[in-house]
Amino acid sequence: MRDRNASRSFDLINTLAILLFVLICLAPFIHIIAISLSSSRAIMSGDVSIYPVEINWGAYKQVVTDMSMIRSLGFTILLTVLFTVLCMVMSIAAAYPLAKTKLKGRKVVMFIIIITMFFSGGIIPEYMLVRNLHLLDSIWALVLPGLISPFYLIILITFIQNIPDSLEESAEIDGSSYFRTLTSIIVPLSMPVIATLSLFYAVGRWNGFTDTLMYITSPELYPLQLKLYQLVQNNMVTDLIAAEGASGRQMLQPESLKAASVIFATVPILIVYPWLQRYFVNGVMLGAVKG
Amino acid sequence: MHKALVSRHIVSGQGWMALKGLSYLRRYWQLYALLVLPVSYFIIFKYGPMYGILIAFKDFNFFQGINGSEWIGLDGFREVFAMPDFYKVLRNTLMLNFLDLIVSFPAPLFLAIMLYELKIGWFKKLSQTILYIPHFISWVIIGGIVLQVFGTQSGMINNIITSLGFDAIPFLTDKKDWLITYLAVGVWQSAGWGTIIYLAALTGINRELFEAADVDGAGRLRKIWSITLPSLKPTIVTLLIINLGHMIAIGFERPYIIGNTAVRDYADVLSTFVYRIGIESGQYTIATVVGLFQALVGLVFVLGANYASKKLADQSIL
Amino acid sequence: MKQSRKGRKTASTLLTATLVGTMLLSACSNSGGNEKANESNGGDKASSGKASTLKVEVFDRGNSPAGSTITNNYLTKLVQDKFGTPNNINVQFVPIPRSEEVQKLNVLMASGSDVPDIVFTYDSGTFYRYAQQGGLTDLGELLDQYGPNLKKFLGDETLAYGQYQGKQFALPAKRSHLGKYSSFIRQDWLDKLNLPVPTTTDELYNTLKAFKEKDPGQTGGKVIPLGMALAPAQFEPLIWSFIQPVTEEQRYTLTQQLGSNDYPVLLPGFKDALQFMNKLYNEGLMSADFSLDEDKKKLGEDAAKGLIGFYSEDDMNPFYADGTYATLQKNIPDAKLSAIDVYTNSEGKHPKPEYAPIGMYLMIPKSSKHAVEAVKYLDWMASEGNLFDMQNGVEGENYTLQNGVPIVKTDASDDVKNRIYNWGDMAIISNGKQLGDADKNVEAYVYGMPEAYQDETRKALTISRSDTIKPVLFDHPIEAQAKYGTALRDKLNEIIVKTTMAKPDQFESTYESVMKDYMANGGQAILDERTKAYEAMK
Repeated sequence: MRDRNASRSFDLINTLAILLFVLICLAPFIHIIAISLSSSRAIMSGDVSIYPVEINWGAYKQVVTDMSMIRSLGFTILLTVLFTVLCMVMSIAAAYPLAKTKLKGRKVVMFIIIITMFFSGGIIPEYMLVRNLHLLDSIWALVLPGLISPFYLIILITFIQNIPDSLEESAEIDGSSYFRTLTSIIVPLSMPVIATLSLFYAVGRWNGFTDTLMYITSPELYPLQLKLYQLVQNNMVTDLIAAEGASGRQMLQPESLKAASVIFATVPILIVYPWLQRYFVNGVMLGAVKG
Repeated sequence: MHKALVSRHIVSGQGWMALKGLSYLRRYWQLYALLVLPVSYFIIFKYGPMYGILIAFKDFNFFQGINGSEWIGLDGFREVFAMPDFYKVLRNTLMLNFLDLIVSFPAPLFLAIMLYELKIGWFKKLSQTILYIPHFISWVIIGGIVLQVFGTQSGMINNIITSLGFDAIPFLTDKKDWLITYLAVGVWQSAGWGTIIYLAALTGINRELFEAADVDGAGRLRKIWSITLPSLKPTIVTLLIINLGHMIAIGFERPYIIGNTAVRDYADVLSTFVYRIGIESGQYTIATVVGLFQALVGLVFVLGANYASKKLADQSIL
Repeated sequence: MKQSRKGRKTASTLLTATLVGTMLLSACSNSGGNEKANESNGGDKASSGKASTLKVEVFDRGNSPAGSTITNNYLTKLVQDKFGTPNNINVQFVPIPRSEEVQKLNVLMASGSDVPDIVFTYDSGTFYRYAQQGGLTDLGELLDQYGPNLKKFLGDETLAYGQYQGKQFALPAKRSHLGKYSSFIRQDWLDKLNLPVPTTTDELYNTLKAFKEKDPGQTGGKVIPLGMALAPAQFEPLIWSFIQPVTEEQRYTLTQQLGSNDYPVLLPGFKDALQFMNKLYNEGLMSADFSLDEDKKKLGEDAAKGLIGFYSEDDMNPFYADGTYATLQKNIPDAKLSAIDVYTNSEGKHPKPEYAPIGMYLMIPKSSKHAVEAVKYLDWMASEGNLFDMQNGVEGENYTLQNGVPIVKTDASDDVKNRIYNWGDMAIISNGKQLGDADKNVEAYVYGMPEAYQDETRKALTISRSDTIKPVLFDHPIEAQAKYGTALRDKLNEIIVKTTMAKPDQFESTYESVMKDYMANGGQAILDERTKAYEAMK
């Protein structure tokens, strides 16, 4: 009886703590939504905190009727899907052999990969490589250079190594090839981590824009985050921009438009996670063992 | 078993080895075939541009390019190591990363376990989704919000503190208080996101273990300690090794945006230093020197951590 | 053990092999790529009986209105129709993100291809670096030969800023309005307290105290008598007014140019200015969180909310439609903001810095094969009202003329207004509208403001142009400034913040230590080099 009480108060405290943290995490997002719906007077006076003041949908109307934003959204989705699929194919292909500690040459390959976590050539040679491969100003410039993250690869390897050997060995005894073992046993059993890493890759691509600043010049290939960055960043007052004097001032965008664009660019990627959650059902592996 | 087998192949004679190698290849060629594309990727896209490291040893001239610029040997390193600010930013980088390791590294682990223990299904799913929202808010916007929350004069927290009759706490302008703000924002921004990987690992737990523990009459904390945590160990160790490798690397945005002039003594780190001295002032030699220094130290750290974990936890990433 | 050592050895050999291999590979492919690029350029030339292509950089701020893009809009078409087609030149615009302009330009320059024929930057350090490293075309003769209108338009004073060791490596744009800062006071507060408009720093101090004590805005104790931010517009007018009269030698040697601005860090009186700020801060007369407000956002909010009694700002900043003043009046209908000139130096003047008479540095990379066309393009822009058309659009649709000053038609349709949405970035030879003389240029700004604020704007623009201090120009750049400038600019902020926020009894020791830090991290190097340069100049 006492145990059950202890367990119940544990649940209560736990739930309340999570609830508190949830509210703290939600507040800034609500703040941005509130800004996107408020009048410029209220924003400029710093009156907006978590609910809109003097509601006004103008910013959203402007975002949604801007064809370049819509086109940009379409391009970003295409880019993210393409990138994520290729990343996962490459990562799985690399992780499976590298998870086998007995494989000859594994250490060498791992070392080659780990080196790249620390050493890089820098922005100028990277730009020249992309240029020499004739990838500049194409979607591939945003896909190929980032295909495998060593960090995520190591996580994937760790997970695959934790799949009970017995499962794999039974397949090997059946005479099934490594390719088959990979597709019929390893991949299904790794779905939680594959879903996780897909999310990581997708979010990374969705939110990334520094490479687009360098590699892309055609406005048709601007991802959403680049447009967003321009909106938000161009208003930063620095000594340099101050040198523009009055001509720079006329280029400023209203705060509400910025906030509405942030929401517009964030919500699509936010809903990916709930959709992936079905791969996080407890006991995936257990079921497979039994089956 | 396998390890012993393989090593026996290696110690045998040369001709025997070639023959064995051939049959080894025939047996395992599919595994190597899988590696061809990924390894080519690393060689082309990662090692291809690596000649850029040479900039560290050259007086880089934009128009002569990397090949045409003049060699200066280690002069770039001498210049960096002679800068008084370099040691300050190095110390700050290590200090902030160490604090993060103590505070921000375990945070997602705790949070993941708390989420795992939640009983109400819809609340569990909903809170997971909400907790990772901060990861999506760009630092520029976070910076503005931090000011509204932690400001001394009219920040939300200080409004409460002063209305209760206490003195305002300079969360952003006092060096030591600022460290708390820095850590708090870091946890807030990344903890929810960090849980995802642990939650994925937790799906592997055999539910039957819990049932068995219930029969033994184990309490909740006991079960967390002896079932949940051990199942997360491989993930924790892997993340820890990688984290240690990055002790000397630090993101640019968090210290830059949360930091401010009043706390620059703590907030100025290698990345902001490189940005200011190297990138903004066009001194690519300096930037590359610092980058190379960080890479070497990082590599030593990660190999050290890997070695230690092999000895202590029988797990390694290499 | 043995095995692992062996493994490591093979690893390192293999690694070296791959490294060397890829280096060779990339070295080969690099030169291959360059050759190819040259070839295709040659090809262009060979067939240049047809049109040649001129590539011109343009800032991309992501603010193109619907229906146009940064590379295809009313102004790009205007350039092609009026300049390109008649001269058999195909003008192409290359967008560069505004916020990363220097970085992207660096990469383009280093990669040696795809560099536009006309590039530009506001950053003098970048210009000097390119000139020093030999990457720019000497424009002296080209300007005489192909750019007579341009040369006349820019004038010698402007052109001097584009010279490096006697050679014209850049053409600086001409700035139309040199004024920077004005100060503003809540006139309605003064009226309420029956106080006169303060005319000296001492009177201002008393006024600020009265604002604090009597709280005429009924802010409930939230009053901020002096609005401050960690930005030049706020602290420069205050600091410069404490600087003692100096000799020409002092002006040249002791000024420190950090980034694009001159700062009086070593000039006599700088410490007094900091002491005054320290006093204001500790007496609660100044924005308490000013050190966190580098982007002036908080300052703007506080002013719009009606908490601030007095502040300095960029001269016309408060007066824009939907700007600070408009918002203030929406919040407090009878609020009245007046432009005043109050910080006074020992000679009774109101000194404040002014802009260098230039805007962006326009440069033609040495690798460009179209330097002639590039100069022709800029010359075209400088002649026969082309600049005016690019800046103002179509008469009767975008503007009406009044005494030679274009008045923007605010009732024009969005399509019409959007034609010239980025004129500031396209009309690159000028910063601001050029109407013939400074007074007229200022009028153009005045008429751009809401009618109710035009008189006050005119006053602010007059204040910002009076008693100004010109930037110090050496005949060659100071290298230490290029090297340490950005780092020291941050150190200057640190000096201001730390000395201002120190307890009064700790002011001296704080000042000593921050100045020492400043000098050690490059301040001394700049001082030494400037002293040497001044002696060489004499």
